[in-house]
Amino acid sequence: MAESIVIPKSKSQPVKVIKPGQSFWPTLGRWSFILPLLILNLIIVIIPSIFGLLLAFTDWSGYGAINFIGLENFSKLFQDAIFFKSLTNNLIWTALFLTVPIAVGLLGAYMLAGIKRGQILFRVIFFLPYVFASVVNTQIWRQILHPRVGIGPILAEYGLPFLDFPIFGTRETALFAVAFVDGWHFWGFLVILYLAAMTAVDAELYEVARLDGASRFQQFRFVTLPSIRPTLVFTILMITIWSSLVFDYVFIMTGGGPANSSEVMGTYLYQNAFQRFDVGYAASVGVMMSLWVMLAVAGFVYLRRRGWEI
Amino acid sequence: MNRKTLFVLLTIFTLLFASTIHAQDVTTVTWWTEDYVDMDALNALLVEPFNAANPSIRLEIIPQTALDEAVRTAFAAGSAPDILQTPGAAFIGEFVDAGLVYPLSSAATELGWQEKLLPWAYESGILNGELYSIPLTFESMILMYNKTLFEENGWTAPTTFEELQAIADAAQAQGINPFGYGNSGFQPANEHVVGVYLNNYAGADNVYAALTGEKSWTDPEFAEAIELLRSHMADVNWFNDSLETWFTYGWNEQFTALATRESAMMIIGTWGFRGADEFFGEVTDEWDWAPIPPLSANMPEYNYMLATGSTLSVNGQSANPEAAVAVLDFLYSDPARVLEIASGYNYGEFVVPLQFAAEDFPEGTDERISRFYADFGAITGEGRVGYTTWTFWPADADVQLWQEIENVWYGEMTVETYLANHQAVWDEARADGAVPPIPSR
Repeated sequence: MAESIVIPKSKSQPVKVIKPGQSFWPTLGRWSFILPLLILNLIIVIIPSIFGLLLAFTDWSGYGAINFIGLENFSKLFQDAIFFKSLTNNLIWTALFLTVPIAVGLLGAYMLAGIKRGQILFRVIFFLPYVFASVVNTQIWRQILHPRVGIGPILAEYGLPFLDFPIFGTRETALFAVAFVDGWHFWGFLVILYLAAMTAVDAELYEVARLDGASRFQQFRFVTLPSIRPTLVFTILMITIWSSLVFDYVFIMTGGGPANSSEVMGTYLYQNAFQRFDVGYAASVGVMMSLWVMLAVAGFVYLRRRGWEI
Repeated sequence: MNRKTLFVLLTIFTLLFASTIHAQDVTTVTWWTEDYVDMDALNALLVEPFNAANPSIRLEIIPQTALDEAVRTAFAAGSAPDILQTPGAAFIGEFVDAGLVYPLSSAATELGWQEKLLPWAYESGILNGELYSIPLTFESMILMYNKTLFEENGWTAPTTFEELQAIADAAQAQGINPFGYGNSGFQPANEHVVGVYLNNYAGADNVYAALTGEKSWTDPEFAEAIELLRSHMADVNWFNDSLETWFTYGWNEQFTALATRESAMMIIGTWGFRGADEFFGEVTDEWDWAPIPPLSANMPEYNYMLATGSTLSVNGQSANPEAAVAVLDFLYSDPARVLEIASGYNYGEFVVPLQFAAEDFPEGTDERISRFYADFGAITGEGRVGYTTWTFWPADADVQLWQEIENVWYGEMTVETYLANHQAVWDEARADGAVPPIPSR
């Protein structure tokens, strides 16, 4: 059994080493505080995760007998063109969300940080789409971009026909159109996060920069951005993770179509689990999604260990 | 404790005890249904009369969003309802394989269900010689059209492919789309047109042969049917004004288009009666329907495709299967009650496939509706039936059918590859015993 170390309350107090068997009850007492959370985690996170992982090696239909089929699902997955199409779309989605909403969010927050009156009102307005249900947001944009009654035909009457086509029904634009709607609902959340981080930046830094003759852009580049780096990196990590899990907006607006052009791993997993009743295969898609998340987290941890302040 | 307090407590305990005894006497039967159901009407027409007629059973119908998924999740948790409602006969096979469905053959014999139900509908619930499900509603595919537009142009409902082609050409010459339809919000809507083209071009006899394994889906009749559909979709734009709009038109758009003369016709199931009633109620134009005409010489005369919508079964894990059977019997034994419930949906839902007589229809029933049911009974009685994909295809083959067809329409997959894939999925389903029951022809 390993020895335990008791951390001193002050520098003058020596480090105390607890030998095995020496003070079991105090240690147990401390653990008992975290035990309910550990049990809860075990029941609702760890056990279902292990079960989900194991299912990827079965041919389970959702009920009835579970037969282990080894790596058959993964073998099928690596030859599945639709899965690779989904994976590619997830990568495109991630690239889009790591650029457009972050850029717009930073710009919005920076501009808002300079406003004294009415800032709360703008915060609420920007944040509102984020609290609306995805079903509401998708219905709003489905009507706005509708090929018959939406903004496209109206603009076309004024000589601007660039939106006068079925945006969600065209293979080349469907994924980008859904990403636009999801990004529209998401960017306000980033504004609030970045604004909170920018508010915490020492005002003296800006003053010094101004005295040095820095322009607004230079202040943003050399003062704001480095100061909010932990928040920025955190949002990058979360967007990378969330992009692998994207489902609702795609499912509601295009269902992954037309012809799988907007299919993402989440909708493909759903399709296999609930339409084809191939839960085992769906679980193997889920494992790939988990791998994505693990890679993102591993990258984050690696950068921290390399000394990045994130 | 004073006397007054003691009296109050004793009264409460007595009432609680009495209610417990009462609760033990009453068996509760739960039935989860779709969330679009008009619960006020269903309670008034089914739940309350049943509970009044059966004091020892209490029926509870609970609407659920995403019903199929809710039932599956509940099964996994061991808390599924006593009466199982599935989206179609093809869905029940999975539950039966897992031993989760109560066999109904003996109850059906005892209660005479076979005589009460339409023969094909009864047979659609038989798996391996045992009855496991009964349709809650039945449907068929029809050609719905803007009657006023037709009359003004001197068009009559087409009875041959040539007549259909002539109307489509004339409509397009006026800038009217021949058909308005789409899959926005419900991707499986693709199968509505695929099924119609398979049946009405390749012919129901050939489809039946393929369903029973005597013919391959890769045979020329089916390839020609899918190619004709591809051409109508992608080359000549029969559906809406482009292939792309197919993916942006849903229920509202397609009915608005038909009612406002943006389109002339619609290939839809009889659930469309509900939409026609609603959308044409807002305009002066009238709608009507006709059987879908044969699309080739493979089909000498029109027929009606058989389709069950939702099905009802009894949960094999139910503690009260007999009480659940009593609920089903109450529903199947009263055609007038069924039609009264169905009238709330303009006969687009809850049309239990019973042997209806003319007098069963409520007074004032729309002539177009009663005409359909009369003709459906007569034509299917002659054996002139076709097959809908969501009723007679295994789940996996059905998904492949409506999903990969989009690749065919876009020219990303050849018709031959599409049908070869379809045959492969069928072979797999047949080997697994997952083919739904096919009524004998």
